[in-house]
Amino acid sequence: MVALLEAGKWALQPIPNVEVVTLLFIVFTASFGIRTIFVSFAFTALETFWWGINTWNIMYLYIWPLLILYVYFTRNKGGLWFYSISSCIFGLFFGALCSIPYLFIGGPHMMFTWWVAGIPYDILHGISNFAVCLVLYKPLVYACTRIRKIRR
Amino acid sequence: MKRSTKVIIGVVIAAVLVCALALTYKFFGPSAKAGSKTYTLEVVDDNGKTTTYEGSTDAAYLKEVMDELAENEDFSYEGTDSDYGIMINTINGVTADYNENNAYWAIYVNGEYGQYGADTQPVSDGDEFQFVYESAE
Repeated sequence: MVALLEAGKWALQPIPNVEVVTLLFIVFTASFGIRTIFVSFAFTALETFWWGINTWNIMYLYIWPLLILYVYFTRNKGGLWFYSISSCIFGLFFGALCSIPYLFIGGPHMMFTWWVAGIPYDILHGISNFAVCLVLYKPLVYACTRIRKIRR
Repeated sequence: MKRSTKVIIGVVIAAVLVCALALTYKFFGPSAKAGSKTYTLEVVDDNGKTTTYEGSTDAAYLKEVMDELAENEDFSYEGTDSDYGIMINTINGVTADYNENNAYWAIYVNGEYGQYGADTQPVSDGDEFQFVYESAE
């Protein structure tokens, strides 16, 4: 799973604000359950190993587990449209979630200005998350279901 | 409630959120004042050597000032587009490679650590900008 996350991240790195990591975490959690939270920690560890320690390491430690918990608790009513809209909203507020450490670093003003400065990118992120999820959710869920059956 | 109604409501909520965020950015985002403005731009390289540029500009954002300097002065820069705007990699031939030695070009505005990238940092009259080669190590 971590390999897939890394491959997806690297493949889309040249296109700003377009990523499949959100979708993969949604699909993994919907298919394999709460264990995916450990995958998110492994992913963050690998990213830290590759890129070094910075503020975003802290962000990754709570952002992905938060998404995984959300998917885990909504998995029974979730589906293509539910998660497409959810991933869109997650992208729209990605910057807001990321700005939390700045509350402790520089106070509410720094947190607010940092978040607002990134809003145009968050909007792109939300729209692209929606499109990516709408196109790839079903094929990926199908693939994960097949993997689960094979493992049994 | 029908499934299709729920989907429509969900899409509408997402669209409303996009509009709300766009308005938040419009009212609280970085804004630039037009007109002739004086500025000072300092580059502190990896050896601590400082190069100072002074001038006046109508530029709205710092990147435009940098473009003007690159055209008219002994100043050059290179950057790459990232998720959060342009990321400055090289200034005056000095490259800060985060992957190699955790180095980066930090932006200071009037002595304080900059909150924006070069392409979203507004320029006001009398602003003092600094590009400082820093290492996270």
